[in-house]
Amino acid sequence: MSTAVEAIYIFNQNNHCILEHVYRSRPPPPHAILPLYQRHTKPRPSVIHLPDVNPPTVLFSLLHANLLFLSTASTDVEPLFILEFLHRIIDVFEEFIGAPLLANKIESSYDVVAQLLGEMCDAGSVCNTEPNALRDDVDIPGWMDKLLVGVGLPGNPPGSLSTGGHKQHLQLNPSTTGPAIPWRRANVRHTSNELYVDILETLNVTLAPSGRPLAAIANGSIAFTSRISGVPDLLLTLSASGGKIGLEKAIELPVFHPCVRLARWKERPGELSFIPPDGKFVLAGYEVNLMPSIHDLKSWSNASLQLPASVEVLKSLGQNGADFEIRLAIYNTFPGSAPALQTQRPAFGSRSSGTSTPVFGNSSNAGPTLQDVVVTVPIPDGVRSVIDLRASRGEAYFTASESLVEWRLPTKAAASPGTATLRCTVVGPVADEDTDGMVNGFHSDPTSGDYDEQQDTYQSSAPQPINAPKPRDKQDAQDPKKVQLNAPLMPSSAALSFTVKGWLASGIKVDGLVIDSRKSKGLGEGVKPYKGVKYLTASRKGIETRC
Amino acid sequence: MESISKISSIFETARDLTLEAAQSAGAARSLNPRPPRDLPFAQIKKLLDSRNDRDILEGLRKVISMMYRSKPCLPYFSAVVKNVASPNVEIKKLVYIFLLHHAEAEPDLALLSINTIQKSLTDQNPQVRAMALRVMSGIRVPVISQIVSLAIKRGCGDMSPYVRKAAALAIPKCYKLDPNTIPQLLDYLSILLGDKQYYVAGSGVTAYLEICPERVDLIHKHYRSLVRKLVDMDEWSQLATLRLMSIYARKCLPVRSKKMKKSKTRGFYDDEASEEEGSITEEVRILDPDLELFLRTCKSLLYSRNAAVIVSVARCFLDLGTPDYVDSAIGPLVALLRSPQDIQQVALYNIVDVCLARPERFVRYADHFLVHASDPFDIARLKFEVWTLIYTHCEPHVRDMILCELEHFTRALNPEIVQESVRAIGRCAQSDSLASPRCLRILLEQVSSVDGNLSAESLTVIRHLIQQDPQNHTKTVIRLAKNLDITPNPEARATIIWLVGEFAGVDNESNIAPDVLRILAKGFATESEPAKLQIVLLAAKVYLHHLNNLPEPQPQSSNPSASFQELPPSIDQDEPDNPFASSASSSPPANPTYPNPSEPPDPDHPIPKLWNYILLLARYDTSYDLRDRTRTYRALLANSSSTQLASLLLLAPKPVPHAPSPSENRRDLPLGSTSLILGSKFAMGQGQELPAWVEEGQEPDPRLRDEGGVGKDAGGVSSVGSGRPAGEALDAALREEKEKEKERGKGKGRMVEKSLEDWLGEEEMEQEEEEEDGSGEDEETEEDESEYEEITDSEEEEGGGKMEAKGLVDKESSSPSSS
Repeated sequence: MSTAVEAIYIFNQNNHCILEHVYRSRPPPPHAILPLYQRHTKPRPSVIHLPDVNPPTVLFSLLHANLLFLSTASTDVEPLFILEFLHRIIDVFEEFIGAPLLANKIESSYDVVAQLLGEMCDAGSVCNTEPNALRDDVDIPGWMDKLLVGVGLPGNPPGSLSTGGHKQHLQLNPSTTGPAIPWRRANVRHTSNELYVDILETLNVTLAPSGRPLAAIANGSIAFTSRISGVPDLLLTLSASGGKIGLEKAIELPVFHPCVRLARWKERPGELSFIPPDGKFVLAGYEVNLMPSIHDLKSWSNASLQLPASVEVLKSLGQNGADFEIRLAIYNTFPGSAPALQTQRPAFGSRSSGTSTPVFGNSSNAGPTLQDVVVTVPIPDGVRSVIDLRASRGEAYFTASESLVEWRLPTKAAASPGTATLRCTVVGPVADEDTDGMVNGFHSDPTSGDYDEQQDTYQSSAPQPINAPKPRDKQDAQDPKKVQLNAPLMPSSAALSFTVKGWLASGIKVDGLVIDSRKSKGLGEGVKPYKGVKYLTASRKGIETRC
Repeated sequence: MESISKISSIFETARDLTLEAAQSAGAARSLNPRPPRDLPFAQIKKLLDSRNDRDILEGLRKVISMMYRSKPCLPYFSAVVKNVASPNVEIKKLVYIFLLHHAEAEPDLALLSINTIQKSLTDQNPQVRAMALRVMSGIRVPVISQIVSLAIKRGCGDMSPYVRKAAALAIPKCYKLDPNTIPQLLDYLSILLGDKQYYVAGSGVTAYLEICPERVDLIHKHYRSLVRKLVDMDEWSQLATLRLMSIYARKCLPVRSKKMKKSKTRGFYDDEASEEEGSITEEVRILDPDLELFLRTCKSLLYSRNAAVIVSVARCFLDLGTPDYVDSAIGPLVALLRSPQDIQQVALYNIVDVCLARPERFVRYADHFLVHASDPFDIARLKFEVWTLIYTHCEPHVRDMILCELEHFTRALNPEIVQESVRAIGRCAQSDSLASPRCLRILLEQVSSVDGNLSAESLTVIRHLIQQDPQNHTKTVIRLAKNLDITPNPEARATIIWLVGEFAGVDNESNIAPDVLRILAKGFATESEPAKLQIVLLAAKVYLHHLNNLPEPQPQSSNPSASFQELPPSIDQDEPDNPFASSASSSPPANPTYPNPSEPPDPDHPIPKLWNYILLLARYDTSYDLRDRTRTYRALLANSSSTQLASLLLLAPKPVPHAPSPSENRRDLPLGSTSLILGSKFAMGQGQELPAWVEEGQEPDPRLRDEGGVGKDAGGVSSVGSGRPAGEALDAALREEKEKEKERGKGKGRMVEKSLEDWLGEEEMEQEEEEEDGSGEDEETEEDESEYEEITDSEEEEGGGKMEAKGLVDKESSSPSSS
C-alpha cells in the first residue's frame, strides 16, 4: 500500500471537467474516466475498480454540492486516505474561495486553487491540510483580501503588492522555528474577539412497527468558531443531565481535532482544553446512545425516549387495502431544554443578529420549536401513482421520479402539539385483473387447470404460512384478495426529518468556556471576548419507523 | 468526523445557500462569465513581459487559469519562466506552478530556469528556499538529478524545518529522476528520519516508504523517537509511520511466548494485562517492550478525526498486537459509521474484516448496524453481514431484533437488499439451530414471491437448512412441494424438486415423491431446463427407491462396470421410433449380460410406468444435457444388478453445505487497503505486503534501537499515555543532540557561499535557537506540568519580534533590486 494521490479531477453538474490536477505518474485523463464512472448505477460506490483502463485503476469519487470529485490510483492505496483527503480539499476550498463551493467560484480563482492544491499535496504526498497553515502560504488576490479584512482577518495591506507579499510572509512565518502550533496561524489579530460554540446533534432513531425504539443514537458534532487574537488557551466544559457520571456515560466514542489535549479529557471527561485554530473548525465528534440500558428495557415505553415528534404508518386500509395512513404525533416536548436555557443565558448571552455567523435568533426566548418537519415515505417501484393525498396539516405530494411521498409541515402547523394525519391511496401498475394474472402468471396456463384444485386443497391443509393478510385496520368490507394484491404496493417505512433550534436530544450543554489567561498569549489585558453558544438538533430522515 | 462544510451547511439554513448558488449561477449566465479569459495571446504576453508586478501577476493568473482549463499555454512558456527571477514571492509561486506543469514538455527551456531556482535555494526566506527545492525536484528533467541531490543535501541541513520537510519530500522525486542517486539519498534520509521536528521526521517516513521500504537498518536508531513523535505528527504522516512500524515490527520484533498460569484480562480498555493465579497454564504472548511502546502510543490515535488513521491503527493491532488491542479499536471503528456515506461504506468493509476476527466484541454495538431505508445496497449488505457474524454471540433479545429487522428487509423495495437479507437469515439460522424454525418460516414466505430471484434465493437457503437437519424437515419438504404450484422461478422449482427427490426414500408408505412426480410429468413440456433435469433425477430416484423396496430379486452375475462400459455406444444410437419399453432390451444386442427389462416385476405398477413415461419425454427434449443424463439414468437403472451402484450414485448422502460469510475470502487482505474493498489483490507489488514475523533469534540486536541512553531517560512507557507526551519527551531527549545538530548546520553553511547579510541572518537564527534551548529548560525546571505548546508559544513570541525586524531589513534590501 502506498499513500499517494495521483490526480484530482473536479466536474461540474454538467459533467464538464473544471479542474484537472495531476500529482504523479500518468493517470487516465478525466474525459476517459467519466463515462466509466457513469456506467455504474446510482448511488455510485465511492471506490470503483476500472480494470479496462491502462494501467488498471481504482477510482475514488465524492459528490459535494453538485460537484463531482474524482481521484485515481493505480497502486493499492488506502481508500480512506484518499477520501479523507478529498473531504479536506472541500473544506479548504470552502474556507478559501467561499462556501458554498460552486463551480464558477473555482473557475474564477484558479490561481488560488492551484496554490492550494500544490501546497496540500507535494507530488502525491499529502503534506499540509491545515487551513491555518495554508493561510500563511497561499496568497489570495485583492478582492478576497478586502472581504477577509471585513470579517476581521488580516490580509495584505492595500497598495503594497510588490513588496507586501514578501514582507507578509516573513512576518507570518516564524520561519526558524517552523510553525509552533501546526494548526494555528501565527500572529492572529482581531479587532473584535469572538468565540462561538455550535453543537449539532443528528438523530438516528429506528422504531419498530409497535413504536418501540430499536436504536436511538444522537451523533453530535461540536463546531467551533474562534476569532480571537494571539494564542488563546481555552477550556470548554460540557455537562449532561446526570452530572459528571452522566456525561461520561453520555458521550461515547469521541473523536477530536488534534488541538484537543487528550490527557485532560481522559482525566476529566467533559473538559476540552485546547488552543484553537483561527476560524471555523470541528472541535469534536461524539455520539450519545439515547436508549436506556438493557436492564430497564422491559419496563419502558416509547414515551421515555422523548422525541419531539414521531411517525406511525397504518397500511392496507380501505376497501381494497390500497390506502395507507401516516400519523405524525407532535409532542413538542423538549426535555431539559428550559433549565438549560436559563443557566446558560447569564453566562453567554444570546447572539445578536448582526454577526456573520447564523444566529440563534429570537427563538431563544420562546424556547425550542420544531421546524422544517418533513415526512418522507418511500413507495415501492410497482406503484404507478399515489392519489388522494389528504393531509390534515401541511402539504403532501408524490414524486414519481424518486418514488416517494413527501409531506411538509410549515413551522406554524408544526408548532401545536397533537396528531396530524396523511391518508393516501396507491394506484398499482396495471388494472386489477391483470395484476391478478401476473401474480399467478406462471400457472395461468389453462392446461394446468387441475393444479388450481390441488393448490386449494394444499392451501387449506397447510398452516397458512404464506399468505396471511393481516390488515391492521379491521374493516368489514375489506376484500382480502385485493388487500393481498395491494400489500406489495404498501410502503414499508417512513422517515421523519426536522430541526429543533436551542435543544439537544442528549441533554448535553456547555457549562463554561474559559480563556486561561495564564497560558494564553497575545490577548490584550481586560479584553473579554464575546462568547456564544448555539444548540441544534436535526433529523435528516433520521427517525425511521418500520411498518 | 463530519466535515465542517457539512455541519455549517446544516446550521446555515439551506435557503441561504441555494439563494447564493442561484445568484451566482444567474450572474454567471447574465454577465459574461469569463471576459478576461478571452484576452488574446499578445495581450497576455504583454502583461507577462511588463515591468509592473501587478501586471505580471495578472498575466500569470490568466495563464494558470488557461492551464487548468486545458487550453494550450506552452507558447507562454518562455514569457512565464523568465519571471522566475522576480523577487516577488507571489509571482514566484505562480511561475513555479506553471513550471511544474509544463517543464516536461519543454525540458530545455526549463533548464534555463534552474540556475535562478538554485539561487533561490539560498534565499533568506525559508519559504522561498522550500519552494525552490520543491520545484527543482518536481521538474521532471533527468539531467538535473545530481543538482537536485545536492540541493536536498543542503536542505537537510537547513535551519528551517520547513525547508527540511521540503527536502524530505524531494527525496522520492529525486529517486524517480535517477535511481542511481540512491546511496546519497539514503544518507540524507537517515538524517531526516532522526529530525527533532515531528513533521520533518514524518515526511522522512513518507519518503522512506517510497524509496526503500525494506531498509529497516535505517530505522533502528530512530525507532523509539519516531514512535514518540507519532502522536504529534499530522494525520498523513501518522498513516505512513503506522505502515512503517508494521513492517519494522514484523521484521525486527519477534513474537515471543511463554507458558504461564492462565492470565486473565480484566477490563475492556484495561491497558494492564493483569495476571491472576489460575490453575491452567497457557501460551501467553510476550510483547517486546519496543512493540508495546508503539502499540500503546497507537491507542491515543484512536481519538483521531481521520478515518484512515483509525483503520490503520486497527490494522496495526490486528497484525501486531494481542486481541486486547484489537478490542480497543472496535469502538472507534464503529464510530466511523457517523461519517459521510462514502467513508461509511469503506469503513464498513474494514469493520466486517475485524468482525471476522473478533465478532463477540461487536455485540454491544449491534444497534449501530441497523439499516436505514436511505442506505445504498452496499452499506446494507455489509451491515447485514456484521449482524450475521455477531448473531451467535448476542443476547436473545438482540437476536430477536436482528431477525425482525432482516425479516423487515425481505419486504424492502430494493430486490438486491431483499436477496441479501434472505441470505443473511440463512446464515443466522445456520449458526443457531434454535432460530432455524423461525428463519424457515420467514423464508417460506418468500418462496411464493412474485420475484423469481428472491424465491430462488430463499429456496437455496432453505435447502441448506434442511440438509443440515434432514430428520426434522420432512414436513417442510411437503410444504415446499405444495408451493410448486405457485412458484414460477425455474431455479426455485428445480431446488424444490431436488429436495423432494432427496426425501423420496423416507417414510415409504406416505411419501409424496411419486405423487409430485406424477403431477410434474403432466407439465413436463412446459418446464424450464433446470426443472426438467431435476424432474428426470427425481424420477430416477423414485424409481430406484421403488426397485430397492421390491423383494430381493435373484442375484445376477452381471458386472456393474460392464453395463457402464456400454454407455458410450448407447449415447450415439438414437432410435427415435423405438418405443422406450423395448429400447433397453434392444439397444445393446451385443451385450449378453444386459438384463432383461421385463424382469422387474409388475410392469403395471404406476412407478415404472411413470419412469418410462418421463424417459420417453426426456428422450425427445431439445437439450443435449437432458438427453444425456436421461440415457445415463436409464442405463443405470435398467439393469437390476446395478441397482446397488445406482443407489450409491443417486442416493449418496450429500455433504452438509455451509454458506460462509461473503467476506470470508477477504480475510487475508490487509485492513484499510483498496484490495479489501475490491475483494481481490489490486496492484500489490512485491514488498508491499506485510512480511512474516521474524524468527526468534534471527532479529537484529535490540540494542540497535538504543539512542545513547535517551530511551531510558524517556522513562519508557509510563509517559506515553498522557496528552502530548511525544513533544515533552522530545524536548528532553533531544536537548543534547541540539548541539550536534547545530554543528552540522554550521558545517553545511560554510560550504555555501553566503553574503554578509546571510551570515548575519544565520547568526541571528542560531542565537534564537540557543534562546529556545534556554527557555525550554527553564520551563522544564519551573513546572513539570507545562504543556508543550506553551514552550513553543514563548519561543514564538520572542521570535516574532525578531522576525519583524528582520523583515524590515529584508524589505529594504530587496526593494532596490526590484526597481
